[in-house]
Amino acid sequence: MNALPLFASCAAMLMGLGLYALITDPEPLRKILAFNLLGSGVFLAFGVISRRVAATEFEGDPVPQAMTITAIVVAFAATAMAVALVSRLVEAGGRATVASEASEEPDADGGAS
Amino acid sequence: MSDTGTLLMAAIVVPLCLLLLCLWPWALSRMLSCLPFAPVPALAAVFFVPAGSSLILGSPRQNLSFALDVPGGLLLGVAALLWITSGTYALSYLKGRPNQARFIVCWLMALTGSIGVFLASDMMGFYFLLALLTIGACGLITCHDTPRAWNAAAIYIMLALLAESLLLVAFVMLAAEIPGNSLLIRDAAVALSISPHRDLILALLIAGFGTKAGLVPCHFWMPLAYSAALTPASAILSGAVVKASVLGMLRFLPLDTALPDWGTAVAAAGGFAAIYGVVIGLTQREPKVVLAYSSVSQMGFMIGVIGMGMIAGDGRAVLATAFYAANHVLVKGALFLSVGVTVATGHRHLRWMLLPVAVIAVGIGGLPLTGGGLAKLVVGGPLGDGTANTVATISAIATTLLMLQFLHGLADSVSQHPEARPAAGLVWPWLTTAAASLAVPWALFLAVPSGMLPDPFAAAVVWKALWPVLAGAVLAIPLLRWTRRFGHVPAGDIAVAIDLLAGRARTVGKAVEGLDGALRQWPAAGVSLLALAVALGAVIFAR
Amino acid sequence: MPGVAALSDAAMGQPSLLVLAIVLPVTGVLLSIVAGGRYVEAIAFVVLLSGLVIAIFIFDGVWRGGRELTYVVGGWRPPLGIMLRADGLSALMMSTMAVVICVVGVFAHADFNSRLEAAETRSPFVFWIMLVAVSGAMNMIFLGGDLFTLYVALELLTFAAVPLVCLSGSAETIRAAMRYLLFALLGSILYLGGTALLYGSHATMDFAVLSQQAHLEPATLIAAVLMTIGLLAKTALFPLHLWLPPAHAGAPAAASAILSSVVVKGSFFLVVRLWFDALPGMLTPAGAQLLGALGASAIAFGSVVALQQKRLKLLIAYSTVAQIGYLFLMFPIAFNAAATPAQSSEALTGGMLQAMSHMTAKAAMFMAAGLIYTALGHDRIADLGGTARALPMTMLAFAIGGVCLIGLPPSGGFLAKWLLMRAAVETGQWPWVVVMLAGGLFTSGYMFIVLSRALQPSGEFLKLGAALPKYREAAALTLALLSLLLGFVALGPLDVLQVGSGTMMAAPG
Repeated sequence: MNALPLFASCAAMLMGLGLYALITDPEPLRKILAFNLLGSGVFLAFGVISRRVAATEFEGDPVPQAMTITAIVVAFAATAMAVALVSRLVEAGGRATVASEASEEPDADGGAS
Repeated sequence: MSDTGTLLMAAIVVPLCLLLLCLWPWALSRMLSCLPFAPVPALAAVFFVPAGSSLILGSPRQNLSFALDVPGGLLLGVAALLWITSGTYALSYLKGRPNQARFIVCWLMALTGSIGVFLASDMMGFYFLLALLTIGACGLITCHDTPRAWNAAAIYIMLALLAESLLLVAFVMLAAEIPGNSLLIRDAAVALSISPHRDLILALLIAGFGTKAGLVPCHFWMPLAYSAALTPASAILSGAVVKASVLGMLRFLPLDTALPDWGTAVAAAGGFAAIYGVVIGLTQREPKVVLAYSSVSQMGFMIGVIGMGMIAGDGRAVLATAFYAANHVLVKGALFLSVGVTVATGHRHLRWMLLPVAVIAVGIGGLPLTGGGLAKLVVGGPLGDGTANTVATISAIATTLLMLQFLHGLADSVSQHPEARPAAGLVWPWLTTAAASLAVPWALFLAVPSGMLPDPFAAAVVWKALWPVLAGAVLAIPLLRWTRRFGHVPAGDIAVAIDLLAGRARTVGKAVEGLDGALRQWPAAGVSLLALAVALGAVIFAR
Repeated sequence: MPGVAALSDAAMGQPSLLVLAIVLPVTGVLLSIVAGGRYVEAIAFVVLLSGLVIAIFIFDGVWRGGRELTYVVGGWRPPLGIMLRADGLSALMMSTMAVVICVVGVFAHADFNSRLEAAETRSPFVFWIMLVAVSGAMNMIFLGGDLFTLYVALELLTFAAVPLVCLSGSAETIRAAMRYLLFALLGSILYLGGTALLYGSHATMDFAVLSQQAHLEPATLIAAVLMTIGLLAKTALFPLHLWLPPAHAGAPAAASAILSSVVVKGSFFLVVRLWFDALPGMLTPAGAQLLGALGASAIAFGSVVALQQKRLKLLIAYSTVAQIGYLFLMFPIAFNAAATPAQSSEALTGGMLQAMSHMTAKAAMFMAAGLIYTALGHDRIADLGGTARALPMTMLAFAIGGVCLIGLPPSGGFLAKWLLMRAAVETGQWPWVVVMLAGGLFTSGYMFIVLSRALQPSGEFLKLGAALPKYREAAALTLALLSLLLGFVALGPLDVLQVGSGTMMAAPG
C-alpha cells in the first residue's frame, strides 16, 4: 500500500512530461508519442485509484480497470488515426508539421469530392 | 372575429401576403402594379375601425396584439395615403430602371413594417415590425446601386441597428418592470413612470428613438440616405418611415407625468436640432439634401414639442405632435415627389410645377391657412410662451429660408429639354399628395371641437404665423447670395468623421488579425490552455 | 390509420428508444463497412431518417410525460451500471440535431453520390459513414448519464469529425485535420484525467449520484477544471480556437455544416451538463465570470477577424468562433450570486435556444456558401457581385441565417437574446448585456459586407459554372427558415427544457 504515493507521483510526472512535450515539440510524431505518454499517466492514475478505492474484499476496484481498458483502446485508435494522418500528409507532399504557415489557407472546397 | 378585427388584420396581413408572394417569380413580375393597392386596407381601417379597437393574434400566453388609438390612427391614415400615392408614382418612375425586384420586395417589407408599427401595441410586435421596417428601408436606399447608395445604406443600417439594440435593452428592462407577463406598451409606459430605473430606461428610449428619428448628433444618415434613394423611396422614407420613431416616443414616454429635467433636456436637444438642421441645410445645393436637412430640423422640432410635453406632463403634447407629424408626412412626401417631377420638367412648364411646391414648402415654415400653419397653431399650446416659443419662431424664419433655398435648387435641377413634360403617372400622384397635404390637416382640424384650439382666421393668429415667413422671405435675398459664396459642407456633415474612424478601425482590425494569428500557433495555444486551467482553478478555489 | 397511430402511441416515450438511438447508428456504420461503397448512402438515409423519428418520439415522450426518460443498460443500476437519461434538454437538442443532419444529408446527396462513378468512391464512402457516426455519437452525448460514457461518446465524435475535415485529400486539409485531432486528443485526455480524479474521490461516475455527493474539495475542483479545460479545447473557445478556422473552412460544404453546427455543440453540451447537473452549485460566480469573459473575447476576436476575411467560408468559420463565445455568456448570467432559480433556468433556456438556433442557422449558411462555390467556382467575397440575382434562393437562405445570428425577431436568436438579456438585467449584470449587443452589431457588420457584395451587379456577365439542383437550395432555405421560426418555439415546447432539470438529483441511484 505504501507504493501508492510513488505510483501516483509517477502518474503525475508522466502526465506532466506528456503535456510539456505535446505543447512544445513541433514534430507531429513526437506529439503523438507525447499524447501516449500523457495517456499512460492517466491510466496509471486509474490504477492507483483502483487500488486506493479497493474495499477489503477486492484487490482492486474493477470499475477503473474497465475504464482503463476502454481508454487504452480509445487511445490506440486515436494513435492509429493520427499516424495515418501524418503518413498521408507526407504522401500528399505537405510538410509534416502542425504549424500553420502565414500563407496557408486551405482551399475552400465547395463540395466536390 | 369581428369586422373591425378583420379589417385591422387585413391592414397588416395584405402587405405581408404580397411580400410572401414575391417568393414566386411569376408573382414578382406582376407585383409592381399591386404596390399602390397594398396600403388600401390600412387606409380603410383608419376610416372604419373605431378608436380603441384591438386585435390579438396567438395564444393567451404568447401573442401579438394590435390596437388603433388616436395618434396611431392619425399617422397611419396619412402614411397609408402617402404609401398609396408614392406607390402610384413608383409605377411610372420605375419603368426601365434596374433592380425592380429588389425595390418591390423592400418596398413591401417597409410597408408591412410601417403599418405594423403604427398598429402594434405590444413590445415584441413593435420591435419585430420596426426591424422589418429598417431592413426594408435599407434595401430601398440601395436600389440605385451606386457606391454612394451603398455607403448611405451601410451608415443607415449600422445606426438603425445600434438604435434598435438600445431599444431592446429598454424593452427588456420594461418587461422586467411590468408585473405579470404582459408585454403591452401601455403597461410599459405606466411601469416606466414609477420604475426605479426610470432614468436609464428613458435615456435608452430617447437615444434609440432619437437616432432613428434623426436627432442631432445621430442625424447624419438622413441626408445621405434620402439623397441616395430613388425619389418615391425618399418620399416614403422621410414621410412615413421616420414617423415610426415619433410614434414610438409618444407611446413609450410617460407624457402624462411631469418630468421637468428630462423634458428640458429633450426640448433643448430638439430645439438645437431644429436650428442646426436649417443652418447646415443652407449650405447645401442638391434639393434632396436640402429637404433632408429640413427633415432633420422638423424632426428636431417635433422632439422639442415632446420635450415640452414632458415638462408639462399633461398629455396635451401627444395629439399635438401627432398632428404636426401627420402634416409633415404629407408635406415632405409631396416635396420629395416634386423633385422627381421637376427633373422631368422642361423650362417652359416649370412655373406651373413650381407653384404648388412653393405653397407647400413655405407652409412648413408656418404660412397661415396651409397645413403647416395649422400644425404650428396646434403645437403652439404645448410650446407655451417662453424660450420654446422663441426658438420655434427662429426655426420658422430659418425654415422659410431653407425652403426658398430648396426652391432655388429645384429650379436649377430642371430638365435639359425646355419642352419636356413629366409623365402623367408622375404628376397626378404628386398633385394628389400636395392637395392632401393642404386638405387633410384642415379636415382633421375641423373635426376637433371648437374652442379647444385657437381660431385660425383670427387676425392676431394669422399675423403671429405670417411675420416669421415674411421675415424669412426678406432675409432670403441677401442671405442666400451670401451662402452661395462660401460654405460647402459635405452632405452628412459629421459623416466625414466616419471615414476617419473607418481608417482607424481598419488598422485595429489588422492588428487583431495579427494577434489572432499569433494566438493560433500551437505553442501559444498550449500555453493558453495551461494558463486557463490555472486561472479557472484559482478563481473557483478562491471563493 | 389506427394501426399506425396505436403503434406510434405505444412507441412514443418508450425508454428503449434511448438505447435504440445509439445502437441504430452504430449498426449502420458496421453495415456500411460490410456492404461497401455502393449501398452506404442508402444505409445512411435509412439510419438518419429513423434517427429523426426516434428523436421526435423521445421528445414527445418527455414533453407529454413531464418527466425525463431513463433507461438502465443491462438492468445494472448505477453506480456500477450505466443509465441513459433523456431530459428536456437532451430531447430538444436531439431533435434539432436530427433535423439538421437529415437536411444536410439531403444536401450532400449531390456531392457524395455513391452510385455515380465506381472509380473514386472513397470520399462518399467516408462521408456517409462519418455522418452516421456523428449522429450516433451526438445521441450518445445527449443521452449519456455518466461521465465515462460521455468520454467514449466524445472520442467517438472526434474520430467521426476528423475525417470529415480532410475529405478532399489535399495537404492543407490533412494538416488541419491533424491539428484538430491532436488538440482534441489533448482535450479528451485532460477530460479523462478529470474523470479519474472524480472517480477517486466519489467512487461513482453517474450524474445523479455525483450531484448529491460532490462538494468543493481540491480533488473535485481540479477534476472539474481539467474536464472543463479539455472540453473548452474541443469546443474551440477563445483562445483555444486554433484548429477551427482552417478545419471548418477547408472541409467540403456539407462537412463544414456538420462540423460547425453539430460537432462543436457536443462538447459544449458536456460543459453544460458538467456544471449544471453533475456538479451543481460548484461553479462560483467568479469562475462563471471567467467563462463569460472568455466568451466575450471570443465574440470580439472572432467578429473582428471575420470582418477582415476575404473568403466566404473563412468568414463563416470565424463567425462560428464568435458564436461559440455567445454560447458561454449564459454561464455568468446563470451562476450569479443574486440569481434566483427561475432566473438561472431562464439563462439556461436562453443559452440552449442560442445553441439550437446557431445549429440551424450556421448549417444553412455553410450550405449556401457551398452552393455559391459550386456555382461560381470560387468564394472570394470581393467577386460575389451578381450572385443575388443568379442564385436568389441561396442568398435568401444565407441572409435569413444571418438574421438569426444577428438576433432579429422572430428568429430563435432573438428569443435567446431576449431571455439572456432579461436574466442579465434582472440580476444587474450590465457588461454581458453590452457584450451581447456588441456581438449582434458585429455580426450585422460582416453579414452586410457579404450581402452588399452579392447584391451589387457583377462586372461582367456572371457565368454559372454548374447548374444547381433546386433541392439543394431548398435544403439550405429550409434550415434557414427553421432558424427564423425557432422564435415561435416559445409558443409551447420551450417548457420542455424545464423537464428533468433538477430532477436529476431525485433520480433513483
